[in-house]
Amino acid sequence: MTGQPAAAPAIEAVGLRRSFGDVVAVDGVDLSVPRGSVLGLLGPDGAGKSTLIRMLATVLRPDAGDARVQGYSVTRQANRVTPRIGYMSQKFALYPDLSVAENIEFFARLRGVAKAERRARSLELLTGMGLADFLGRQAGRLSGGMKQKLFLATTLMHRPDVLLLDEPTTGVDPVSRREFWRILADLNRAGTTVLVATPYMDEAERCTDVIFLDGGRVRHRGTPAEIKALLPGRLFELRAAEPRAALAAVRGLPGVLAAHLYGDIVRVLFDADDVAAVEAALAGEGIDGAVRAAAVDMETAFAVLAELAREEVAR
Amino acid sequence: MSAATRIGALIVKEFRHLGRDRRTLAVVLALPVLQMILFAYAISFDVTNVSTVVIDQDRTPASAAYLRSYASSDFFRVVGTADGLADVDRIFDRNEARIAVVVPAGFGRSLAAGEQATVAVYLDGSEPTAARVGRGFAVALNQAYGQSVAVEWADAQGLDVTAAGQLEPRVRTWYNPERRSSDFLIPGLMVVIIMVVAVQQTAVSLVREREQGTDEQLAISPLRGWEMMIGKLAPWTLLAFAELAAITAVGVWFFHLPLRGSLGVLALGAALFVFCSLGLGLVISAVAPTLESANMLGLLLSILPAFILSGFAFPLGSIPVALQAFSWLFPARFMVAISRGVFLKGAGVAELWPELLTLAGYAVVVIAVAVVLSARRRR
Amino acid sequence: MSGRRIRLLIWKEFLQLRRDPLLLRLLFIMPIAQLILFGYVVAADVTNLPTAVVDLDRTATSRALSAHFDASDYFDVVARPAESELQPLMDTGRIGIAIVIPEGTQAALDRGETAPVGVVVDGSDSQVASVGSGYASQIVARFNAERMAGQGVQLAAPGIDARVRVMFNPTLAAVNTMIPGLVAAIVMLSIMAVMGQAVVKERERGTLEQMFVTPIRPTEYLIGKVTPYVLVANVQLLLVALVGVFWFGVPFAGRISVVVAGLALFMLTSIGLGLLISLVSNTRQQAQQLMMLFMLPSFVLSGFIFPIDSMPAAIVPLTWFVPLTWAIQILRGAFIKGSGFEALGTQFLVLTAFAVVLFGAAVAATHRRLAE
Repeated sequence: MTGQPAAAPAIEAVGLRRSFGDVVAVDGVDLSVPRGSVLGLLGPDGAGKSTLIRMLATVLRPDAGDARVQGYSVTRQANRVTPRIGYMSQKFALYPDLSVAENIEFFARLRGVAKAERRARSLELLTGMGLADFLGRQAGRLSGGMKQKLFLATTLMHRPDVLLLDEPTTGVDPVSRREFWRILADLNRAGTTVLVATPYMDEAERCTDVIFLDGGRVRHRGTPAEIKALLPGRLFELRAAEPRAALAAVRGLPGVLAAHLYGDIVRVLFDADDVAAVEAALAGEGIDGAVRAAAVDMETAFAVLAELAREEVAR
Repeated sequence: MSAATRIGALIVKEFRHLGRDRRTLAVVLALPVLQMILFAYAISFDVTNVSTVVIDQDRTPASAAYLRSYASSDFFRVVGTADGLADVDRIFDRNEARIAVVVPAGFGRSLAAGEQATVAVYLDGSEPTAARVGRGFAVALNQAYGQSVAVEWADAQGLDVTAAGQLEPRVRTWYNPERRSSDFLIPGLMVVIIMVVAVQQTAVSLVREREQGTDEQLAISPLRGWEMMIGKLAPWTLLAFAELAAITAVGVWFFHLPLRGSLGVLALGAALFVFCSLGLGLVISAVAPTLESANMLGLLLSILPAFILSGFAFPLGSIPVALQAFSWLFPARFMVAISRGVFLKGAGVAELWPELLTLAGYAVVVIAVAVVLSARRRR
Repeated sequence: MSGRRIRLLIWKEFLQLRRDPLLLRLLFIMPIAQLILFGYVVAADVTNLPTAVVDLDRTATSRALSAHFDASDYFDVVARPAESELQPLMDTGRIGIAIVIPEGTQAALDRGETAPVGVVVDGSDSQVASVGSGYASQIVARFNAERMAGQGVQLAAPGIDARVRVMFNPTLAAVNTMIPGLVAAIVMLSIMAVMGQAVVKERERGTLEQMFVTPIRPTEYLIGKVTPYVLVANVQLLLVALVGVFWFGVPFAGRISVVVAGLALFMLTSIGLGLLISLVSNTRQQAQQLMMLFMLPSFVLSGFIFPIDSMPAAIVPLTWFVPLTWAIQILRGAFIKGSGFEALGTQFLVLTAFAVVLFGAAVAATHRRLAE
């Protein structure tokens, strides 16, 4: 596409830093996103995800550091970066009083998409997203899910190589969310690189790589499997008659690395290998309940890693 | 993939926004004409028919004759009589009249004896325009009356009145012989109305993009700063121009405003002026963080200067130099000169080229400033 | 009704106001800018009119007359052209008035005849035309009188000795009427401008709905919304009044109670009108336009700048429907004439009616809206 060797990453950032007044939003972030991957950006509120994405989208200028998107610098060659990216902000940013068709038409024309291509492509995209029947409806009158799909469609009209999405499915119903990710998967299969910030852990599972951001810094990075493997010990689930009491008791046990409640179930990270050892330890404390080994999911990994980080700080 | 396509897309979008907002459309199209009709009727500095109260304490034929001269004057409108001085206070207090003429007892006798007869004329100074002009008229009326009384008397005495020669001012009014204030005000009024509408509309336009979040999407598109300004300006320029044309038509046909000069110059000046005002609105839009402050800044920079610092109603020659210099910062001043020049003085390019050039320069500068400020704000 | 909840609402409004530093600054720059503009421009007397004197007589008399114009503050003799040069000078606006002394003037005067003096005025500038020609006539009259006195001619004849006196505003300074008017105008401007936006903004943002589900009562909501802006308006008008009295020397002959009562009533009308606009508008844009719709006519028709006396009889009834008209009369009366409640009875009655109707309607509408 740009004459770059195939191995070059789609996004490469070094030392990105940005503050707002006294608050340091992004504190020295390095990043490397291989072409054709789907990178999930995870982290608590205020971690700096939006700021990071906006810097990569050339919408915000970094205080320090630089990033290369498709080989072009966001600080010095922004006008070469922008034709190659699509950016969805956290807030719905289309014209509420213009219709679906009018919004797409406007942004596509702005991007220089030729007339014939515009028609064909918009039809293709909107039909694929189930919006073909709503061409004339004002964007402000669409449901949450449809708004986000329309937003995505608008950013795809000019066939960008890289998609930067800031929590695109927040507030969207589960069915629409699944559809949205189906579309993303299709795009990815066709070669588009996707960087998506998301608070939904099940979405994180679908990424090829994941980055944990906290306090403006990258805390962990890797494939979902690698992240899960970061967890020390093994995960067990305990079903007890009195979950809260069980949790309190479990926390005091030696060998317990972390424990939290997941609904009625107590999830324990235990520094042991098999169920028997765990049951023995629990019985020794008079805790009665069924113990089962569990697979770590992203939700747990995220919660536990965050908790461990907090304890670290406290120490 | 060109600037023209992008600007075209933006213009289409802006027109669509306008089309969806019926209320704004109605306001923008109909209101200025309505307002102009209303104001042109209402606004005037011509002072006539000033309410006057006459107090005749003499009650002689002489005093009656004297007071009749007030009644027959165009300027004074006798609304009633009163008994004495004490009433004058009350009358003025209650705004029942602005002028009170008191003829004391002994008036007729003094005149008959060949002496100077005293009268008192009181003016309500709380309305300075009326009072100032009233004073002039009162003095003039009394001089004239006194003169005629003197001549009559001299005739009756058989004296040869060797009036020792008097200068008599003969006033000629150029350009506006009937001295209709409306002719003076309407060309300026058009300017005021357009400026107010134009600046307000664009002042919010960029702020709205910011509030909707679409400014980011525009930022990452190939759209350049100046392209956006032109795209934003174009539809409003068209509309404002249409308004001006409508107002001119109303002025000429309805108010019989003469149009003595070059319509082409007026059109050119109008186009440039509209561009300037819209540009000013865009500057405001670029710097104001919220809609409220955009609106208020628009108010501050459009209505007040247009009304007061443009020479529309208040002459700029007599104000402090600092303010005169300040008035040069607003395009309204130049457009008023062009407007008046074309309508009343029959002026053309030869006379008005300095103003036209200034407006052109202003337009360029203001749009450039808007682009720069807008870009700086984005990052 | 809970004082605590009201205080909370007021605190919230102030907080939001603080977040918009430009707006805050503007709220205080506005009155100052208006003071300067109205105090120095609108109130300016016509002086230093660029004048041309065309002396075709060239005698001692004509030179003496010329000297009178030179000496006058009202005229600024910038040219002494030939008659043919007059037109271009006026066309380009370099002069606004020209005095033409024809040939043979002195000779005519010596013969005891009346000699005409030409006064040519630029009619496209109405102030110049009327006031300028008036002053010119006065100068000529004075010249006549001096000449008569100098020639020792005492007409032992009857005449009129007119004592013309200006009451209440002897210097006829327009600023004395502008400033009281400005005080009222500022109240209207500030309050309506911000009130108009206030409710709409919450509706747009959806925070109004939040209000519905809290224990806040409609009256509390109103008071909470309105108070901060009233406070701001009070500060503004105090600023204007003080600057007007101490800097511009506007006299204050009246009673504070009259002024306070008048302003309080007027504030109620402005608040009411602002609220009503806010309630019928769906977007802030619409509220803004409605506001402009009301404000411009108010400025023009209220007698603030353009005297109502000069308006055609058909228009005068329209001015009665503008609350600002009555407020201005009250304020001007109080400042300049020292009028009291009795003298301003009609004005107070009308203003009260306006206040009751507008504010009442606004309160009722707000109640209904919040109750929905």
